[in-house]
Amino acid sequence: MQLGVNIIVLAAIYALIACGYVLIYRVSRVLNLAHGELMMLGSYLLLATASTFTGHPLVAIAVALVLSLCVGALVYLFLMRKMAGEMVLAAVLTTIALGILLRGVMVIVWSAQQQYPGQALGVVNPAIALPGGARISTMAALLVLATAVIYGALFAFLRFSRWGVRMRAAGQNPLLAAQRGINLHAIYALAWGLSTLTGSIAGMLISLDSGLTGTMVLIGLKAFPAALVGGLDSLVGALFGALIVAAAEISLIHYVDPLLSDVVPFLVLIVMLIIRPWGLFGTREELDRV
Amino acid sequence: MSRRMPWASGYFRTGYAQDFKLIETRLERVSAGLFAVALSVFPFVASPFQLDLACQVFLAAIGSLSLMLLTGYAGQISLGHAGLLAAGAFTAGILFKEFGAPFWVTLPAAAAVGALLGIVFGLPSLRLRGLYLAVSTLALHFVVVYLGGEYETKRGYSTGIVIDPPSIGGYAVINPRIWYFVLLAAAAATLFICLNLIRSRTGRAWRAIRSHETVAEALGIGIASYKLLAFVVSSAITAVAGALFAYYRGFVSVEAFSLFLTIQYVAMVIIGGMGSLLGALLGAMFVTLFPYWIEAALAALPGAARYASVLFAVNYAAFGLVMILFLVFEPLGLVGIWHRIQTFFLLWPFKHRQVTGTNR
Amino acid sequence: MTVPLLSVEKLEVVYHRAITAVQGISLSVKPGQIVAVLGNNGAGKTTTLRAVSGFLGLDDARVTEGNIVFKGMRIENRRPDKITHLGLVLVPERDKVFPNLTVAENLAAPVAHRAGRAERRRREALVYEFFPQLAALKGRIAGLLSGGERQMLALGSALVGSPELLLIDELSLGLAPVAVESLMRRLVEIRDGLGLSILLVEQNASIALEIADYGYVLENGRLVLDGDPKRLLQHQDIREFYLGQTTSGERKSYRAVKQYRRSRRWYG
Repeated sequence: MQLGVNIIVLAAIYALIACGYVLIYRVSRVLNLAHGELMMLGSYLLLATASTFTGHPLVAIAVALVLSLCVGALVYLFLMRKMAGEMVLAAVLTTIALGILLRGVMVIVWSAQQQYPGQALGVVNPAIALPGGARISTMAALLVLATAVIYGALFAFLRFSRWGVRMRAAGQNPLLAAQRGINLHAIYALAWGLSTLTGSIAGMLISLDSGLTGTMVLIGLKAFPAALVGGLDSLVGALFGALIVAAAEISLIHYVDPLLSDVVPFLVLIVMLIIRPWGLFGTREELDRV
Repeated sequence: MSRRMPWASGYFRTGYAQDFKLIETRLERVSAGLFAVALSVFPFVASPFQLDLACQVFLAAIGSLSLMLLTGYAGQISLGHAGLLAAGAFTAGILFKEFGAPFWVTLPAAAAVGALLGIVFGLPSLRLRGLYLAVSTLALHFVVVYLGGEYETKRGYSTGIVIDPPSIGGYAVINPRIWYFVLLAAAAATLFICLNLIRSRTGRAWRAIRSHETVAEALGIGIASYKLLAFVVSSAITAVAGALFAYYRGFVSVEAFSLFLTIQYVAMVIIGGMGSLLGALLGAMFVTLFPYWIEAALAALPGAARYASVLFAVNYAAFGLVMILFLVFEPLGLVGIWHRIQTFFLLWPFKHRQVTGTNR
Repeated sequence: MTVPLLSVEKLEVVYHRAITAVQGISLSVKPGQIVAVLGNNGAGKTTTLRAVSGFLGLDDARVTEGNIVFKGMRIENRRPDKITHLGLVLVPERDKVFPNLTVAENLAAPVAHRAGRAERRRREALVYEFFPQLAALKGRIAGLLSGGERQMLALGSALVGSPELLLIDELSLGLAPVAVESLMRRLVEIRDGLGLSILLVEQNASIALEIADYGYVLENGRLVLDGDPKRLLQHQDIREFYLGQTTSGERKSYRAVKQYRRSRRWYG
């Protein structure tokens, strides 16, 4: 039972992070390998706002969320926009370089020590007993809930809102989208903003649950296989991919070897690349596109 | 021929034999000679610290040359370079620890393991391209590093494996000057191998694949075998570099082979300049020396002690920044800058824009 | 004499800083006109269209000489979405709809510059009015539409942007002659109903000239003929190498046409 709960929580973490990869990839065919760092930056922003707005945890969280949305958009406007028209690889390497830059800057500003935004916010994190003898921390439960809500919102946004439809249109055929008067830069900036926002929400909740360290980058990277297993251009896929990766990881850690933790997602990734490289729900043509 | 026309006027090849020469003009011969002399005098005038830096540059050069073959020439993207280095280092370490094998066994063994892993890393390339290939090699990096870590913990070397220096005829190589020449020779040999590979049929096939896979296939180039060959050759060289690294440090540990190392090697290729062996060398030098420059620059700043604790972070940030600057503003890398300077002086006092992209 | 809506003067476009695709092309479209631009493969039709709609930069091409004036503004080398906002909308040759969006979503995606909610709804309704077939297909994924339906959808989503000038690249490409004829009639209806102008680029000369008010003929990146469509249809050269007829009405052999064309080039 506890195993099941652990799987669900981990799957929620991976799914929430993975949707950031999917959003950016789907719209602009760029793989954002700085996602882990951006997500960590979001958590540090929460730490910063928590100490600025002491006593108003909700204000602090809201401000941190808005800031992270802006950070994502700014990353596009000031950096990734310059890479338009370059090779796909160049864009990916730029995100890697950005990740390194951010990691360095974050350590300079906030030091490498473990921090607890939960304490700064004054948020308590009691464990909740579930039927069946399993336990789940409040923040973890909140995380599962947040994942469900955010996925619901994203689906609705992409399906029903005009900007969501434009985002999908730009992802399918940027040329035609521009001909239809859609401002591609605005769309891409929005995708980067949303991606960073969702990633930051994941980062904030994780850091509220278990503290904030450099390992968060690794969590971000481990969520990438979830996105790819589901299909890099499919949100539904990211959900299923996260579930598969999380289930594999938790059960192998439990039954085989705890050291496997960091490698299992990538093993799943390799298996998927061998049997069905475009992912469970991805479109097959994606392979030839890059 | 792959080489640029040496000078815009004055020297033209007139026979097939000249096409095969590596050193063509007298100026080239003289400068190459001077360079060789400088390299061989260097260890006798340099401080131990500078000597160590030079050795690191040579090691990095071997690795970056092999990555340049794979990425810059054959066009196959790999984010698993640190994994391959680790494989070479661990092969040497494990063979030494378990069987007490001497270096003339471990180095070829490392090459063999590297070649084998090259096939494993290369197999996805038969099906995947670009991003997906990069991702698959990234995944393999984690697998190799995990296996190394597993060995360390299971055998109780949780801090790492200590390796004795290699001995030639009962004489242990510990003198840094000797190391300098050993590594210089290894780097030079690698350069020579790469030079000859890229101007052979194999090299032409690789470049054809890089430019356009379908067209290359239509020209009758066996895509699958050449891609695999690129991975095998590159990985074997990389693994040897890893083994040499292990011997040079006298110590193997997984911590040394993080993803950051891969990124450093990729940065060498990018900063140096894609598709140029000279670029690989320049990039290796730049990336290896870069942290020391940063350190020196920080030390010169007022309040140097304050930065000491965050030195590695400053390094990280500066490295990321430099990489971004190169990617955005100088995609051709250091080689691009070099060629521009060359062209400037070549055409001086006239200004003329170089027609790029055709003759390299 | 009316002021032209679009005028292209002595346009020269160079690809990769080396290859000149079109040279010295001048044409103009007056308000309410349908203008046909004819030419074979490689004549420079698409390049001209791309230059007008702002899509050259993506192919590493530039307008190196001449100018393009739309509603009194120079628009060469401007960003495509800005050009669309000015009221100049292109219906491209291929990939003219978003294949994974439904028909309704395809019509929802275009930006209608400075249009309110009501105005926008009115325009979408207008599209279904002009193309009643689309109304029945609202929920269908555009990738599953037939060629004719796709062309209608492309025209429809271009209309949502409320163009004053519609650029249409190869309307007839890959469609059955019956479908082409009905589409052409629809174009005339749209022009009359909305009072816009149309620049039609076509290989199918006879059908384009039938509805056009004026025609241009391009060859090898240069303008070789222009004039009233009826006169063009009577022109011996057009008859010979676009319609494949000789003056006596019988078809010429391929060889003869090729021979003729080669000699023709010298005068062009």
